[in-house]
Amino acid sequence: MALAIVIFAAALAAIASERVDRTKVAMVGAILVLLTQTIDQEHAIEAIDWATLGLLAGMMIVVRLTEITGVYTYVAIRAGQLARGRPFVLVLLLAGATAVLSAFLDNLTTVLLVVPITFLLADALDIDPIPLVLIEVIASNIGGTATLIGDPPNILIAGATGLSFGAFVVNLAPIVVVTFLVVTGGLYLFFRSRLQIAPDQRDAVQALDARRSIEDAAELKRLGPLLILTILTFFVHRQLHLEPATVALAGATAMILVTRQPLEKALAGIEWPTLFFFIGLFVLVGSLEENGAIEELAQGVASVTGGDRTAELLGIAWVSALGSGIVDNIPFTATMIPVVEELQAGSGDDAYWWALALGACFGGNATLVAAAANVAAAGMAERAGAPIGFLTFLKVGIPATLVSMLLATAYIALRYL
Amino acid sequence: MSPRRVVALVRRDVPVLAHDTTVDAAVRALLDSDLPALPVADARGRYAGIFGEREFIGALFPRYVQSLGYAGFVTQSMEAVLDKRRGALREPVMTYVNSEHVDVSEDVSDIALAETFLHHRVLIIPITQEGHVRGVVTRADFFTQLAGRLLDEGSG
Repeated sequence: MALAIVIFAAALAAIASERVDRTKVAMVGAILVLLTQTIDQEHAIEAIDWATLGLLAGMMIVVRLTEITGVYTYVAIRAGQLARGRPFVLVLLLAGATAVLSAFLDNLTTVLLVVPITFLLADALDIDPIPLVLIEVIASNIGGTATLIGDPPNILIAGATGLSFGAFVVNLAPIVVVTFLVVTGGLYLFFRSRLQIAPDQRDAVQALDARRSIEDAAELKRLGPLLILTILTFFVHRQLHLEPATVALAGATAMILVTRQPLEKALAGIEWPTLFFFIGLFVLVGSLEENGAIEELAQGVASVTGGDRTAELLGIAWVSALGSGIVDNIPFTATMIPVVEELQAGSGDDAYWWALALGACFGGNATLVAAAANVAAAGMAERAGAPIGFLTFLKVGIPATLVSMLLATAYIALRYL
Repeated sequence: MSPRRVVALVRRDVPVLAHDTTVDAAVRALLDSDLPALPVADARGRYAGIFGEREFIGALFPRYVQSLGYAGFVTQSMEAVLDKRRGALREPVMTYVNSEHVDVSEDVSDIALAETFLHHRVLIIPITQEGHVRGVVTRADFFTQLAGRLLDEGSG
């Protein structure tokens, strides 16, 4: 067991350091536990959650094929235009569009699509783009919390538990909406002096022709209905006896059939480093489980909480937020899932999973390295000549996470205790 | 085409921009040279990259433009935005250089030259020896030579 823990801890530390690519770390860790026979190959393959990988791959193809139509750019530009130069409305609409897109695509893709448009809008309005970008990143992590497909921690939880898309929405969307409004409002107040738009600049973004952001209208007509159908099917997948991965892969396959884009281009949307990162993690966590480390950890948590449900739920939420902020919410959630399974002990009490989802997803806002979307936004900002430093992010990330977690705590207490 | 014929394409009277040359001076040198791009050398005088028309456009427009997948929705010139970028003219050329190391030696074959032009979006390829620029081959010269050769053979 000691070797499994050492390899896992070293991998987590390497991921948190951000000095080595996280996929390389996960792959090296997985190979090490196999080479040292900490886990055998058969159990390692069993530890890989293929449903999660299928869901991720399916949605990656869906997003790749539809983003080329320009529809997401259209949404971002229209959000900017509808504000008509009113700073608070601008923040609310851009953050709202980011949050909704994050809930139904994924937050990393959303940030990659929205942030460049935000720089353009800010330039036209002659305001500092960084507050807008920070608010959007935080909104994307909050918005992604609302659905099964919105944030990788939720995809991992769904893969492990079989909880439905509808269950995620019913249990998480209410607190996500409240948190979004409170945090976005708070961030606007914090940044409002940097978001003042001069009267003569207020109409600047109206000159953009949003309709021309639709690069391929014919492709949008072909793929748009399938995108809507895929999302709607997620809401009723349980009633249709279909797993989320099946829905995502069916949507992707249907799109591949009707698109005019080459198959290679569609499949190039699959982010192999991400999938291999997940595979490595599954094997690493599998070796911990195989060697009894997870069971001991769960027993340790249970002894600290004394088996008290309130302490366990709030402990899971806050420890997940803290852990996700320090490491990265994907490996942290992958580690916590078997621990929560042990704590829940087959009671069927789903509140444990909502506590984990809220902690891991909201914790993704704590630091720059806590979620892939944060790192991507910082990278784009740096390339645009307006870098977002670790401390700059921390100044808004920590308060946003604290407020989010306080609201989540109140929600858990009111709804599940 | 033999290496000897490739060597015939090498332009040797090409100015090499120093790493700390300003964008403003680099553009003037570029205009004077009648070339689409010029090689840039680092502090030790070794080849560091290329600065040309594409890199100048990158310097002149806000850097986020490169992150936009498409910009057809911007239908009007954004003069104010461009005005803000005037400071870029005083920045060192190294900030905007294409640092992808695309260079060949003097004994390069025509196939190797063709492969380099096909795989890299560059209009010139520096000819280097031990890291120092000895000249450049332009895509236009390569095209002209190839086209002339094929047309001559076709008419013969």
